[in-house]
Amino acid sequence: MEKVDMDPEEESEPALLAENQEPASTVSTQDIEEDPNTQTHEKFNEAPSESQEEVGEESEKLILPQRMINLQRDLTTSVSNNQTAADAKESMRRNELEESRKIRSERLKNNVKSSEKIFQEITTGWSKAKQKVIPQELQEALNNQQQLCAAIIKDKKKLLNDLQQELKVRNDQFVKDLRKQEENLDLTMESFENEIQTLTLSYKEELAHILGVNQQATEVFLTKEQTDWQQRLKLLSDQEHGWLMQWKKTMEECEANVHSQIWATVEKDSNMTELNAASQAQKRKKQKMKAKKEVTALQSAVPEVTPVELRRDLNRMEKRVGSLQKEIKTLRGSSSTQKQEFQKTTLSMSKDHKRSIEKYENVKRRIKHFALADARQYEDMWLTVDEEVRQLADRALAIDSQICELVLGISWERPPMEFMELSGPRRPQEGAGLLHAGGRAPLCGQRTTDLSVGPRAEAGTESRGETARGEGDAEAEEGKISAATLKKVLELLCDKAGFLVENKLLNLLAPLEEEEQTVVKLASLLCTFGLEEEDVPKLAEFLLKYKPQQKDQTEDVCVESGESSVKAEGAETESATHLTSELIDPNHVMPALKVFLEQHLRSRESSARLNEISCDPLDDEAYWERMGNIIPEDRVKLWEPAEKSLKQHLAVLKDISEVVPEIQSLEKENRELRMLLQQHFP
Amino acid sequence: MSRPPYFGAKADNRRLRRIIAEDVDWSLHVVPCLSKLCLQSIVRSFEEKPIFEELPPLDRVFVQERLPTSLPLHVTANSVSDGVFWKRCCEQRWDICDPADYGHSWKRMFFERHVENIIELFIPDETEPRAVLEMVPLCKNYVKRLDISQLLPPIKEPEKKEEEEYGPELAGPSMDHFDFNILLKKLTKLEELHLVYRVKQCGMNFERTMFEMTDRDCESLAEALVSCKTLKLLRLHQSNIEDKKCRRLVRNLLDHPSLTELDLSHNVIGDKGAAAIGRLLARNKLETLNMCDNNIRGPGAEAIARALSVNSSLLSLNLRLNRVGDGGGRAIGEALLNNRTLLHLHLGANVVTGPSAVALSKVLVENGTLKSINLSCNNLGVDGGRALQEAMSHNTSVTECDIRLTQIDEQSVSFINKAVWTNQRPSKQQQQQQTANPSV
Repeated sequence: MEKVDMDPEEESEPALLAENQEPASTVSTQDIEEDPNTQTHEKFNEAPSESQEEVGEESEKLILPQRMINLQRDLTTSVSNNQTAADAKESMRRNELEESRKIRSERLKNNVKSSEKIFQEITTGWSKAKQKVIPQELQEALNNQQQLCAAIIKDKKKLLNDLQQELKVRNDQFVKDLRKQEENLDLTMESFENEIQTLTLSYKEELAHILGVNQQATEVFLTKEQTDWQQRLKLLSDQEHGWLMQWKKTMEECEANVHSQIWATVEKDSNMTELNAASQAQKRKKQKMKAKKEVTALQSAVPEVTPVELRRDLNRMEKRVGSLQKEIKTLRGSSSTQKQEFQKTTLSMSKDHKRSIEKYENVKRRIKHFALADARQYEDMWLTVDEEVRQLADRALAIDSQICELVLGISWERPPMEFMELSGPRRPQEGAGLLHAGGRAPLCGQRTTDLSVGPRAEAGTESRGETARGEGDAEAEEGKISAATLKKVLELLCDKAGFLVENKLLNLLAPLEEEEQTVVKLASLLCTFGLEEEDVPKLAEFLLKYKPQQKDQTEDVCVESGESSVKAEGAETESATHLTSELIDPNHVMPALKVFLEQHLRSRESSARLNEISCDPLDDEAYWERMGNIIPEDRVKLWEPAEKSLKQHLAVLKDISEVVPEIQSLEKENRELRMLLQQHFP
Repeated sequence: MSRPPYFGAKADNRRLRRIIAEDVDWSLHVVPCLSKLCLQSIVRSFEEKPIFEELPPLDRVFVQERLPTSLPLHVTANSVSDGVFWKRCCEQRWDICDPADYGHSWKRMFFERHVENIIELFIPDETEPRAVLEMVPLCKNYVKRLDISQLLPPIKEPEKKEEEEYGPELAGPSMDHFDFNILLKKLTKLEELHLVYRVKQCGMNFERTMFEMTDRDCESLAEALVSCKTLKLLRLHQSNIEDKKCRRLVRNLLDHPSLTELDLSHNVIGDKGAAAIGRLLARNKLETLNMCDNNIRGPGAEAIARALSVNSSLLSLNLRLNRVGDGGGRAIGEALLNNRTLLHLHLGANVVTGPSAVALSKVLVENGTLKSINLSCNNLGVDGGRALQEAMSHNTSVTECDIRLTQIDEQSVSFINKAVWTNQRPSKQQQQQQTANPSV
């Protein structure tokens, strides 16, 4: 029982404490506990002293490794000592346990043996007792047996008591041990702390000592090296000072040199820059030339060219380059002079050019003038010739009629004269147009209106020219008027016919000024109407005069227009005031425009037709031919016998006339004779 | 009433506009890039549509910095790679975070600690195992180590507790802990497993059964260990494992393909368990074996020593705080005469005396590979110390020799220490040279 109880207790105890094995140095007896501690203390006391001695003895170099080894040893031993102490104590405890166990087991064995002996005695006593018959003996034997039994029981009880006491003692001891262990733990903790403190102190001291030694050494080294350093520095500084002085001297010399050189160079510099520029240009040219020459040389030269030749070539080339450069210089000079000359010439030429332009303009003017004069002459000529021709024609016709009526006795009819009506007034009018330079656009329309006026054709050519001139004048005046009114009219037109302008264009025009807007709008409107710039004043005019037109709309528009043109002459001044004030009823603009456009379309067609006719130079010939052939050939044929007869007649008449003077002279003689007769014969 | 929507509309308008003239503080530089806006929307809708791997690295950092840590793990676990996001998650959950312990991977740290938390708070029969299994597909690629510091027993009814007071033997199957069989075979990258069958901060509710591994636990764990093929380190300490359970575990660990380190410290394993461990040593390629604070005596140590003479992989053997005794010590010494791989041997507090010291001094003379030996807290005596002193005068490889509290002469102690220090120097110089050479 005890064994079983004791063993686990003892085993579990270290098991519980095993986690922190250092505190496991639980020492049952103070003696053993003290031993290792004292030992360790001794050791630690020894160790530093030894080490210090070593420090003193050994050279400084060997301090560190040796000390490190010592330190490692000491530090580990201080820990492991505790462990070994604990182990020792534990093993001692186990020894004790084993001994006590042995003692106990021996005691038990002895007890068992003795009790067995007594038991045998008892059993033998029982066998003896069976043999005994006498009750007294039996009683004795029984008493004996009882005594023996009591002895056994006593023994056992004693043993039990002993064991129990031992157990109690053990138990108490265990508890005491535990307490002691606790105390020991505290003690060891304290001792550890103390150790640590002392150790740290001693190590600190050592460290300080070592530091001091090292510092001293380093100081010594420092002072040594500093002195050395200073000496060397001095040497160095002296040397450098010397060098510096040398340098200074040389520097001064150099500076003087440099200054002189700088002055020299400054003088040269101006030349140099020029030269540089020139040389650079030359170099470039040189390079170019070289390159060219090289190329040519390479092209021409045989692939096997020795360097010597090349050098020779190079020298030659260089010489040539030099000569070429000279040439270039001369050429440059010449080019500059030429340039100057050229500039002079250009100046003079430009003057000439101006003069010639002026001349040309003069000539132009003259040409215009002459053209105008020619035109005038031509017109005059035309008119005179035409008149003459017409007179001649009339005469011819008169003659024809006379011939017909008198000679041939045929009734004379007037030949057709339409061509005269058609083309007659055209030439003089164009001439008038030319006269009024600037060629009024409305002329065309005017002309058409004029032409369309049939009845006026029979009017005299002279009057016609006059009207034409007058019209031109009127129109010129009209133009002047409309310049002021035109604008307003056109603005009105723009406003009214604005819907015809494309929206896009309007959007684009939005930022522009009003005038510009109207201009652009007008342009687009005209484009849409199919009108030209020349038609604009015409249109304006038409619009202005639309009101009266409106009144007699039934009348022929052509006539109206013609009349209006005539009216314009008179209403010039009126319209200037009246129209600007009233202009035109805005409501009438659209219908007026419509009418105008229709009219314009028609007039244009007609004008186109007319232009075709008038533009033909053959027409003139035809005109003149017709004028020439005013008397038809039949008539001429008729005329031939008439001529013959007339010639005969004439011949007769000539004969007669030849005879007449004779007759006259004869008459004269007759008369004179009569006179004489009378005088003589009064 | 009409204002809030108006303001909302205004805000919307402002968002749509590129230039806001009436705002004096506004400038074009304030306008976020379209890419930034996109990333923000990705962050916002990450739960519905996680886009991460497709992003360029800089944008990934941006997203990681802004993802809310409250996102469910099944969204983020396999879509968001290791980075700032997991750092934020960790720092939000735990105060102390040192990624150096987790291979500088915040994600690994998060998942390992997350799974550890789940298991440590797992109460059998209360929490459903599904809660753990749901985590498996999310964390199996990231968990390399499980350091479980407690395993809760199932909650018992108060009446039962009263019963237990009368008869604690009756508390049988109900004390089983979390069944690792369901978890370990699914963690395909698990390399380290630290287990303690105990309850932290139990206070006055202490019961011995809280600190024990039950038979069924052992069964399930053994099966789980077989299924976990990637395991390299198994640490099962302070769990009251005795011979039977040890043998059960070792039987399943035999011929484990990857196990290199086994730690069964602070248990109650005796000689039979040690014999099983010996078999394991002979069969497996263990490199480190820690059996400290157990109950191994002479026969067990002899079994281990026999295995040691055959084994050619073990580098470190720790038998601290056992009862090996002279028999075991001698056996180990003889075994080390044949072994040329072991570097560290700990026989501290093992009731070893002079004869084994003599045997080990032979080893120190002949064996050139052993680097550290610990014989502290053993009554080696003056003769043993002399033997060791003599041996150390011939040895050049041992750089650590712990002979504290061994009743050895001061002279021999100082001699041995000096010998060790002289051995340390060349090795350190070599180390320094080795460290200096690569840099050159």
